[in-house]
Amino acid sequence: MKRITVKIAGPAGMGIKSAGLLLAKIVTEAGYYFADYSEYPSLIRGGHNTYQITVSPKEVFMADKKANLLIALSPGHEEDGKNLLKIPLSTMTMQLGGQIYANTISIGAICWILDLNRENAKNIVTGYYGDDPKNPEAFEIGWGWAGTNAKKNEIDKVKDNGDKGSIMDGNEAFGWGLFRGGCNFFAAYPMTPATGVLHFLAKNQDKFGIKVVQPEDEIAVANEATGASIAGASAAVATSGGGFALMNEAVSFGGMIGAGVVYFVGQRPGPATGMPTWTVQGDLLYSVFSGHGEFAKIVLAPGDTQECWECGWESINLANKYDIPVIVLADKILCESSKNIIDPEKGKVEVIKSKKIIPGSGIYLYNSYEHDEEGFSTEDAGIAKKGTEERLNKMKNILKIEKYIFNFYGSKTARNLIVSWGSTKGAILEAIRGNSDMAYLQIKMLWPLNKEIEKVIKSFKTKILVENNATAQLGKLLRSEMGIEFNKTVLKYDGRPFFPNELKEELI
Amino acid sequence: MTDLKSKIVPTWCPGCQDFVIYASLQQAIINQKIDIKDLVIVYDIGCIGNMADFLKVFGVHSLHGRSVPTAVGIKLAHPELKVVVVGGDGGVYGEGLSHLIAAARLNIDITVLVANNQLYSLTTGQTSPTTPKGAKTKSTPKGVESVPIEPEGLIRAVNPTAWVKHVSCQKPPEVTEAIEAALKHHGFDLLDIDQLCVSFGKQLL
Ligand SMILES: Cc1ncc(C[n+]2csc(CCOP(=O)(O)OP(=O)(O)O)c2C)c(N)n1
Ligand code: SF4
Ligand SMILES: [Mg+2]
Repeated sequence: MKRITVKIAGPAGMGIKSAGLLLAKIVTEAGYYFADYSEYPSLIRGGHNTYQITVSPKEVFMADKKANLLIALSPGHEEDGKNLLKIPLSTMTMQLGGQIYANTISIGAICWILDLNRENAKNIVTGYYGDDPKNPEAFEIGWGWAGTNAKKNEIDKVKDNGDKGSIMDGNEAFGWGLFRGGCNFFAAYPMTPATGVLHFLAKNQDKFGIKVVQPEDEIAVANEATGASIAGASAAVATSGGGFALMNEAVSFGGMIGAGVVYFVGQRPGPATGMPTWTVQGDLLYSVFSGHGEFAKIVLAPGDTQECWECGWESINLANKYDIPVIVLADKILCESSKNIIDPEKGKVEVIKSKKIIPGSGIYLYNSYEHDEEGFSTEDAGIAKKGTEERLNKMKNILKIEKYIFNFYGSKTARNLIVSWGSTKGAILEAIRGNSDMAYLQIKMLWPLNKEIEKVIKSFKTKILVENNATAQLGKLLRSEMGIEFNKTVLKYDGRPFFPNELKEELI
Repeated sequence: MTDLKSKIVPTWCPGCQDFVIYASLQQAIINQKIDIKDLVIVYDIGCIGNMADFLKVFGVHSLHGRSVPTAVGIKLAHPELKVVVVGGDGGVYGEGLSHLIAAARLNIDITVLVANNQLYSLTTGQTSPTTPKGAKTKSTPKGVESVPIEPEGLIRAVNPTAWVKHVSCQKPPEVTEAIEAALKHHGFDLLDIDQLCVSFGKQLL
């Protein structure tokens, strides 16, 4: 078997995600690649929570929907019962003194089934759970049980076991990226699925030298970040759609006064409170048109965990270079799914500082009213026109200078071109794997839209748009800005991401 | 004596007590020998906020109601700065009240000066959170139904150690003295200043 998908299901509070990440660590150390996916309701206890992981000797871009192996940590979580591994967990956990060991027992069984190295895996379990000696014991129990009761389900063995970097989710990768880009002020009000950025940076604030605060609401978050930027800090915030709505007046303020702030928006299905723990790409147009008035802004979208890291420093640099709001659009899939990325501390990253006047470096009035060159209010027609043009002209410079535009995959002579943005990248790369008829354009800078994008898309005869939303928002943008028409549009808007196989079928 | 006045002549109505606060603030900054390089004034939107154009200091004319969080962000990012907020009762006690409470709880070292004219004056005289119950304004021709906020008591209830004081523009030397005391004080301070709006507030006297 080339790749295998293992799924662990149970109620919240049984350490499903933590066991999943442990398994991710074990398979990575064994030389495999993985991609994971978790589903959980917006509850603290109970509900049906799942973690699934696709393991392969080759890079995995998106986890598969169908599991080859399912483990239910407690009764009632067997799903359709297909591929269910019936481990007598309740008797086994009684032996160990607690239900909490069900997850580690399962890991032991999975490791045996995948034919992994017992000692290596056990060492990782021991390191992962620290002092508790019962976890390695639980691992052994699971391993032993599988040895007499299960069948091996080996994946192809890995040939090269090179450096697989670090395992993290998109929120952490983005936080790392912010730090590498010189961010030193971060504010957030908790909102799923972006809360992980706050947790990660709060935990690492001393190590990173970042001032991390949780103000009274998102309005304060955005205005504090704007104030910090005025005072010379590299400032960023993280939220989801509803919180971003509250921040919008400050986005406009930043555009007016020329104070850069990074707005990380982890999308979740709306409108309103929507489905907090599920996924969508519903806020593209809202981000592009966020903030009242006409001014320059940048909208970026990472397509995978590595790009979350990249967008971290790219966004803070752009905010400081052009002194404008920069919005980074992620979603539940990117924020909360894990992958191995290049060690986030490695690699040279440029750090750009803003050249604007800050306290101590001169006298200036940062003015939310229309203003003259010293910042004083004016209603003069000539200055108003010039001010508007100066603010908008930043877009021209961005288009001229910036190269962070898109990724192109496949052949320029392929028959079809798929166009998408953000997290759909994973499922698309899986769906077109080995298919030379399909090329793929992933747009990373969604605003302003570079003419290069138009050139690439128009050079293909058959154009297919893939978006995880109901209204084909990128399609609308490309039509209005570039007159691009798609031959086929594939949309999904039920809170779930595209999975490789279902997308493959849709693309035929 | 350094001149803090900008190139712009104040546009307040003749007789407006915002002039008192304007003069007192300049006098207090000079008396306290505050180095202009270390000073940032954040103004709210409103008549009093228009002071932004009349002073030549490092300033931020922020959004309506958001002067306090803007100032908090500046102070958090750059703790050595002396950060002063100048706003009205509408912006600071209405639109931005939650921010004032949060800043008081944090006891962050900023000075908040509120020109309390019991009205939204820049928008031509509607009721504000401090308008007395029953008072008639343009938006409440039948009289205000709510009871007013009492800023001193409110902030003391939130943080008993916060520095809060109430003065009136009727006595300009007291205003200067109180601003000086606020500037000297470390930690959060709120100075609530009675200010008569001669254009829309005479019925409140
Ligand atoms: C978000 C927003 N809402 C409303 C306004 C309109 N507005 C401008 S000033 C003001 C009230 C000002 O009252 P106050 O803060 O007491 O200042 P004053 O004019 O009385 O000095 C209002 C409502 C605005 N600028 N922004
Ligand atoms: S409207 Fe009232 S508060 Fe505003 S400047 Fe005139 S008198 Fe002063
Ligand atoms: Mg007022």
